[in-house]
Amino acid sequence: MKKAYWLGAAVLLGFLVLGLSTFTKSMTPYVTFAEAKTSKRTVQVMGALEKGTTRYDIETKTLHFTLVDPQTKDVIPVTYTDVKPANFEDAVSIVAIGRYQAEGFRAEKLLVKCPSKYQGEEVEKQYGNKA
Amino acid sequence: MSDTVRAIGFAPGTAAVWAALLFGLACIAAYVKAYRLQTAGAPGEDYLAAAGFARRLYAAYAVAILLASGLLLLLLLTHDFRLSYVASYSERNLPFYYLFSTFWAGQEGSFMLWLFFGALIGFFVWRTAKEQEPPVMIVYLASFLGIVAILCKQPPFRFLEKVPFDGQGLNPLLQDPWMVIHPPVMFAGFASLSVPFAFAIAALWAKRWDGWVVRAMPWALFTFLTLGTAILMGGYWAYKTLGWGGYWAWDPVENTSLVPWLATVALVHGMFLQKAREKHRKINVILAILAFCCILYGTFLTRSGVLADFSVHSFIDLGITGWLVGIIVFFLFGGLGLLAWRWKEIPVAPEIDPTTGKEKEEPFLSRSVLFILSVTLICASAAVILLGTSAPILTRITGKPSQVATEFYNLTHAPVAILIGLLIALVPFLSWRGEAGRDVVRKAFTAFVVGILGAGVAFAAGVRGVKDLLFIGFAVMGCAANVESVVLFVRRKAIASVGGYLAHVGVAIMLVGILISGAYERKAQVTLYRGAPTQVGRNTMTFTKTVFVTEDGSVKKREELDPTRLADRRAKQAMEVEVVSPRGKVWKAYPKLYQNERTQQLMANPDVRSTALMDLYLSPQAYDPGQPVRVEGTRFPLKSGEEKTVSGVGFKLLGIGMDRSQLNASPPRVTLNAKVVVTPPGGKPAEQTAKMVMTMKGADDSETSALDTPIPGTPGMFRIVRAGGSDAVEIEVLGMNPAGDVKPATSESLSVDITTKPLISLVWGGFYVMMAGGLVALLRRGRDAHAASIA
Repeated sequence: MKKAYWLGAAVLLGFLVLGLSTFTKSMTPYVTFAEAKTSKRTVQVMGALEKGTTRYDIETKTLHFTLVDPQTKDVIPVTYTDVKPANFEDAVSIVAIGRYQAEGFRAEKLLVKCPSKYQGEEVEKQYGNKA
Repeated sequence: MSDTVRAIGFAPGTAAVWAALLFGLACIAAYVKAYRLQTAGAPGEDYLAAAGFARRLYAAYAVAILLASGLLLLLLLTHDFRLSYVASYSERNLPFYYLFSTFWAGQEGSFMLWLFFGALIGFFVWRTAKEQEPPVMIVYLASFLGIVAILCKQPPFRFLEKVPFDGQGLNPLLQDPWMVIHPPVMFAGFASLSVPFAFAIAALWAKRWDGWVVRAMPWALFTFLTLGTAILMGGYWAYKTLGWGGYWAWDPVENTSLVPWLATVALVHGMFLQKAREKHRKINVILAILAFCCILYGTFLTRSGVLADFSVHSFIDLGITGWLVGIIVFFLFGGLGLLAWRWKEIPVAPEIDPTTGKEKEEPFLSRSVLFILSVTLICASAAVILLGTSAPILTRITGKPSQVATEFYNLTHAPVAILIGLLIALVPFLSWRGEAGRDVVRKAFTAFVVGILGAGVAFAAGVRGVKDLLFIGFAVMGCAANVESVVLFVRRKAIASVGGYLAHVGVAIMLVGILISGAYERKAQVTLYRGAPTQVGRNTMTFTKTVFVTEDGSVKKREELDPTRLADRRAKQAMEVEVVSPRGKVWKAYPKLYQNERTQQLMANPDVRSTALMDLYLSPQAYDPGQPVRVEGTRFPLKSGEEKTVSGVGFKLLGIGMDRSQLNASPPRVTLNAKVVVTPPGGKPAEQTAKMVMTMKGADDSETSALDTPIPGTPGMFRIVRAGGSDAVEIEVLGMNPAGDVKPATSESLSVDITTKPLISLVWGGFYVMMAGGLVALLRRGRDAHAASIA
């Protein structure tokens, strides 16, 4: 019986090793704009959309915009070649996952956070409730 | 209103939650007394009286929970907007079924739903626990009291300072029929996970090493069924209406329900193993504790706000993070601590070989070994998913929180799935006692050949790569092997015993569906111009027109919508896309793309054509209504009495008048008349009246349309684009400088993601088979448990 336990332990260990090595490889760290500009790997940056910088080229399906770091006021130009996400302009904050290249940050994926998510909080702010 | 009054809010509701906490504690105390009497000697009259009293207290607890839930529902249905919860998640103009489902739209309500099912299930727990009733009920009830305490701290009955006229409404993303059914099934599953946990802890406490498994097995299978169904429903919802493009996105919220389910699957296997061999006792205690703690941990991950930046649908912090951490630590360390305490006392029951007098080694080719491997494999999968989902927390320790890409899950799970296919394929050919290798090969030969054939068919159909072919080969072999067993048992009229085999058939079918529909999907992004047939893959697609799809599913034109019908009022804008297959079959797809009127969010729902072999999936991305050739003008503000020269034209605003005579028309309209003196270049001043019509569409939604007014003696026009208070307007001058400001025409178009997903029907079909197997097993084990008499 012991043999089976050892085998089971080996399987478990094998997968944990596989998991951990894949884990570090597929990690996309959150970085500041300055770090993103020097990093060569896939990273994610988060910021607010700078008003008036959005431009969408229908022919090439490329979205150009600029993100602003709310704290440091750093900016980073972002391009995203895909259909423009719904509610893009209303986003409270945008997470861009991709890597920095010569012409700017090329996003492979955008996560657009809309204010509706904070719906409950908003009602309490508006009509008052601090228990 | 004082803070205290507001915090208490609707007093009967908050009182019911507190009453539940008190009755719960009293019930635990009563069961502790009953347990003392039970263990003191032969359970007699005293024990029965004490247990009866404890049951009555449990009923009081359950009634308090049901009352609190009923009151919350009533307040939601009667639109009592004094309540923060009602105002945050519901509104007046919701159809009944969505109004009903706002109960679980927020955090407090979903905790309440969890408790609601926990309270109901408890009545069945004490009946099925039989001789183990006192300790099981103590742990079972304790597992919920932490959540009751959270609701005492944050009752959903809190009042707002001011009462709004209407609520914020249900998040439009959640306004889907699945919202009515998916969360209740999910929380029923969550609540039922407390049962195996309670039995396991009670077993450690009362030192009942094997008896608990018999009683808890039907419950583990119940969790397997409910949680599994809920997870699949969620996936189907995401696939059919949310337009994510798939049924599984490895989102933290999905993962945190999958991990406890996997732990339950491992537990079910471990229980079978223990029941058959009366060994391997510690594994099941550990699994039951971990499965329950995974649910708590998942709740912590999704509700404490730690993942707010990483998930599409995680909640904001409600100020309960500390409580959740406390509850997890209590049950995890309490449970594992008790196990460590008892570790040495748990009998290992080695089988002694009578001939040698040494411990008998179990033969390697036996079901026992296979079960141990399957348990470890499923646990490895759960651990890896847990690791990935916890990435933002783990990386926070060393630096900035990060998340893993979804490839992480796909890469790590390919080998898991292949090995699971292999184990499933072998299990029907092995007995608990072990087999000779030669016999296994002989028995498995047919299934093996079918597996090879399956891989061959897959290769012919375009599946490439050793890994993928191995995957298909094992899965098909697993399917064949288990079908063989099912047939055998049905022939022997032993239908009650087919559960496991049937479930494995389902798993094998699902595996094939998951691989093929995922790895061999074809995706194209196209822009369809209205009326222009476009070749997409093998189909021809034409965007024909925009229409409205009512909530009850009929397709209408805007003017055909009946405002007296709720389903018509809630109609959504859709695009009709005519899809002509290579064989000339026509399918009209209605992907929806519409703006939610309340939140102004743009919503998209895909349309799917499902056939047995292939799904065609149209997910709308963007709709462009098109623009005629237009001259872009110059805009400027103008106050009453002010004079300005723009593009060579002089403008002087004399005054603004409002025509409200059509305010009672339907829809109500107000016309703004601006008297302007216009002086064209080199011409005479002339008085003109520019009109702008404002049409009211809703409470705070209006549409303005300006009429172009000619500028005398020139090709140019001007118009009012906005009113700026009672004495100012914004004017746009058009056509005075046509050289530089002409915008070209764009045609009406629809951008759409088109995906073909081969054999995705196998995912759903395999799931049904798996659940059918689980149900058969549940009935069988339930009957066994009922018949068993345990000391």
